[in-house]
Amino acid sequence: MAVTPQTVDELTRIEEPQTGWRGAIVEFIRQRPLGAIGAAIVIVMAVLAATAGFIAPYDPLETDYAAMLAAPDAKHWLGTDAFGRDVLSRVIYGSRTALMVGLGASLLGASIGSLIGVASAYFGGRTDLIIQRIMDVFFAFPVIILALAVVAVLGTGAGNVILAIAAPMIPRCARVVRSSALAVREMPYVDAARAAGFSHERIILRHKLPNVMAPILIMTTAFLGEAILLEASLSFLGLGVQEPTAAWGLMLRGAAVQFAESAPWMAIFPGLAITLAVFGFNLFGDSLRDALDPRLRTQ
Amino acid sequence: MGPYIVKRLLAMIPTLLGVAILIFVLLRIVPGDVVEARFLAQGSQFVSQDLMNEERAKLGLDKPLWQQFTTWFAGLARFDFGVSMWTGGPISEEIKLRFALSLQLAIMASTIATLLAIPLGILAAVKQDTWIDYAVRIFSIAGLATPSFWLGILMILVMLTVFKWIPPMVFTPFWVDPWQNLAQLIWPALAVGYRYSAVGTRMMRSAMLEVLREDYIRTARAKGLWLKLILARHALKNAILPVLTIISLEFAFLLGGLVVTEQVFNLNGLGMLFVEAIARRDYTLTQALVMLVATTFLLVNFFVDIAYAWLDPRIRYR
Repeated sequence: MAVTPQTVDELTRIEEPQTGWRGAIVEFIRQRPLGAIGAAIVIVMAVLAATAGFIAPYDPLETDYAAMLAAPDAKHWLGTDAFGRDVLSRVIYGSRTALMVGLGASLLGASIGSLIGVASAYFGGRTDLIIQRIMDVFFAFPVIILALAVVAVLGTGAGNVILAIAAPMIPRCARVVRSSALAVREMPYVDAARAAGFSHERIILRHKLPNVMAPILIMTTAFLGEAILLEASLSFLGLGVQEPTAAWGLMLRGAAVQFAESAPWMAIFPGLAITLAVFGFNLFGDSLRDALDPRLRTQ
Repeated sequence: MGPYIVKRLLAMIPTLLGVAILIFVLLRIVPGDVVEARFLAQGSQFVSQDLMNEERAKLGLDKPLWQQFTTWFAGLARFDFGVSMWTGGPISEEIKLRFALSLQLAIMASTIATLLAIPLGILAAVKQDTWIDYAVRIFSIAGLATPSFWLGILMILVMLTVFKWIPPMVFTPFWVDPWQNLAQLIWPALAVGYRYSAVGTRMMRSAMLEVLREDYIRTARAKGLWLKLILARHALKNAILPVLTIISLEFAFLLGGLVVTEQVFNLNGLGMLFVEAIARRDYTLTQALVMLVATTFLLVNFFVDIAYAWLDPRIRYR
């Protein structure tokens, strides 16, 4: 292929690397603008969630019956809902719920999943076969159906929703981690380590785990966006986080649809928040994958 | 090929058995049962234990669990789903119309997803790292990020405020009135199709990028073939398989997994029926729905694999 100006650019960039963390950030923004946008959204969301108490203009649970379904104005920037609660404050507090459930579910799902995946690959043989057949069973369920079934068993509420969302993620993570762990098992450097007489623990911890950490991390970030979406869906159905907690999916439920024509702000802003958050996590996760997975780097 | 097909079909049986056991057990762990739910719905909270047990006996819920399971599974093997514990009507009748709706919606959404994904993915790959590529990628990542139920709400909102019109709220089968039918289903199909196109677009783009680096593409370019011809004749054929795979696998999930979108558009599809059935602790109906969706998923999986072997000589199974 011909040398394009772009490859020349890349070459010169490699020759004069910027130093320090500030340089690294500039480099990240220059090389992965989409990832940088994603990271910015994620950071803004995390800051909002952490400082909701200071930033939100109103208490998210405070009802004001004098200002029910008020249109956005200087007092309520994003309007109020059917109980006169400030939509902006509820959107800000909603980021807490979304982050908590999203992080909780993806960390839980990814850690249980990778444990099963690594174990399945490590023990191999019959154990591997049985674990994989069990995973097949879980794969045959649509994600939301599995989550709904878990909610039916455990009941609603934020804690149970985390478990319900983690459940469908476990088999998917297990499968990916297993295949990476299997690939690592066959690698020449593992053979080399074995030939050098290293112990199983050393090989697993020092040689295998670092090589499956990348897929685990990628899966976790990929799950995050999906977990936030799933939480919103469950809450929208009334089977997730319960009133009066501020949660984006919950805000879209009931009155938001009922009064969609007269008070569209109730339906628009929480959905926008969900979309932006998931968008940010997906963009960030994508560039993380590109950065961490050397095999994909050329693409 | 023959033995392979048989082997694959037989391998579905243990998975289906696993699904059956899992949903059977899960439902029994859920607090409450259909008899309690039915009395609650009738507004009679205080019903004597004897009356409840009598009702349970009528439904066969007094029998040991293993016996309930074997009776049900033996029925399944004869394609007999049994009767709904809530309505008492045969489940095949309860499901029929809803299945028609969900199936049509899934087909329409998959079609839209395919029609969006393939051209967009090719475009992004050919124009890699230009603004077109970035625009397509942002469009598809935004599709993944937008909850389709929210997109649905927005659609209804726009139609309501701009056109003063909302889609029909009652399902009309396609064979009764195709126009009325499409006027209702095209919107949820668009909302869902857009979301599912995102996965396909990304897959199409990366598969295309990979194929475009192959030697035979370079050869084709070197001998001066048109880019369009290369794309259509050489690249597309090789890159399209994973895209079709991912879209067909999503298809099975569209069938039963559109719970929230169905709610927004007031569609009585399989997803809503599932939520209803769980809320009513209608064991037989819930079990039937889960088995239906799981079987569809396994069958689609199976056909995709067979199609792979048939279409791609490199992976022909013995």
